[in-house]
Amino acid sequence: MNVLSCSINTLIKEGLYEISGVEVGQHFYWQIGGFQVHAQVLITSWVVIAILLGSAALAVRNPQTIPTGGQNFFEFVLEFIRDVSQTQIGEEYGPWVPFIGTLFLFIFVSNWSGALLPWKIIQLPQGELAAPTNDINTTVALALLTSVAYFYAGLSKKGLGYFSKYIQPTPILLPINILEDFTKPLSLSFRLFGNILADELVVVVLVSLVPLVVPIPVMFLGLFTSGIQALIFATLAAAYIGESMEGHH
Amino acid sequence: MANSIMASSKPLISLSSSTQPTRVNLPKSIKLPQIPKPISSSSSSSSLSSKALSFSSATVKSLALIAALAPPSMAEAMEKAQLFDFNLTLPIIVVEFLFLMFALDKVYYSPLGNFMDKRDGEIKEKLASVKDTSTEVKALDEQAAAVMRAARAEIAAALNKMKKETEVEVEQQLAVGRKKVEAELQEALASLEKQKEETIKALDSQIAALSEDIVKKVLPS
Repeated sequence: MNVLSCSINTLIKEGLYEISGVEVGQHFYWQIGGFQVHAQVLITSWVVIAILLGSAALAVRNPQTIPTGGQNFFEFVLEFIRDVSQTQIGEEYGPWVPFIGTLFLFIFVSNWSGALLPWKIIQLPQGELAAPTNDINTTVALALLTSVAYFYAGLSKKGLGYFSKYIQPTPILLPINILEDFTKPLSLSFRLFGNILADELVVVVLVSLVPLVVPIPVMFLGLFTSGIQALIFATLAAAYIGESMEGHH
Repeated sequence: MANSIMASSKPLISLSSSTQPTRVNLPKSIKLPQIPKPISSSSSSSSLSSKALSFSSATVKSLALIAALAPPSMAEAMEKAQLFDFNLTLPIIVVEFLFLMFALDKVYYSPLGNFMDKRDGEIKEKLASVKDTSTEVKALDEQAAAVMRAARAEIAAALNKMKKETEVEVEQQLAVGRKKVEAELQEALASLEKQKEETIKALDSQIAALSEDIVKKVLPS
């Protein structure tokens, strides 16, 4: 009796659940030391790093005075990153270009790799491969790095006078300024995390429901917004750095 | 024990590489219905079905259990909401990002950036040198114009000189011709005078004869 009801339940559940096989919060765990890691995030991040380093090394091998093809594209990307940094940070933007550029490129390639690369080919024992930025660890890591970066920028430029910005323009705003130091990384991380995860969820649900034509506009929208999110993250990071480095009003 | 393990929504955790045997897998607070694996279906299907129906009560129960069990046991892995599952992945990603930043700087930003800046500098230099050449060209232009003007002035002066010389010559020849003509005129006049006198002389004699004739004819004698 028990076995029968179990099998019927299994059949019903599996039949129903086959229609919508969405796995949220499923991770592929590895043990490192006494700690767990999300292996799917690490694997996809390694792929992203390989793509970035490989394509950059290939394109910059033999720089020509008149650039063509790959070199042209990478020069365009570098000029774009320099422009974003210069607009936000000002004249001393030079040392910050690697940081802002890597932020932008890592997030952009992560998001687009999650949307474009056929990760489903590789079956994990649990969970699935997707963009590394759909994990809260990645986005919070990037946001914390940004926080450290703008603190470092302010402290290295102004020394301990950096902390006078907490009582600008009036000391009444001190709690709000302190709160800002928490909300900045929080908003950065959650904006990116929510956008990428939600887009993936929408696409997966649509594909499992109506797999033919309907998901395609949503996929294009996903490509567009994920690109924008990379730009927003990098621009905001540059803006925070510039804000903490700027002189007295 | 088996029930509690199987009651998790990640039934394969117990079979995966994780080594903690006494894991309390609590129902997740944010999830969609999971596909129950066949392995776990034997004893868990009933519990899973009841769990699927009593979602919210399970959430409340899980939160209560978390609150109760969190302090005592640290050896048990607590998975609360898997969506906000912070673990060693975070520092690993930080390290990976910093590695990527320095590697990209060495491979891409610095080489290409320096190359682009150098090229910009060369182009600016060339532009500046081209501007200098244009003033040189202007100076050369003016020189050429001055030379042309000088040449023209020379030619004009030479022309004038030649004109004057030929005029003088012409005048000379004209004077010579005039003199000749005058001399001939004088000659002709002189000869005419002579002829006039001769004819007058001849006429004189004829006049005398004629007048005698007339007197003879007129006077009857």
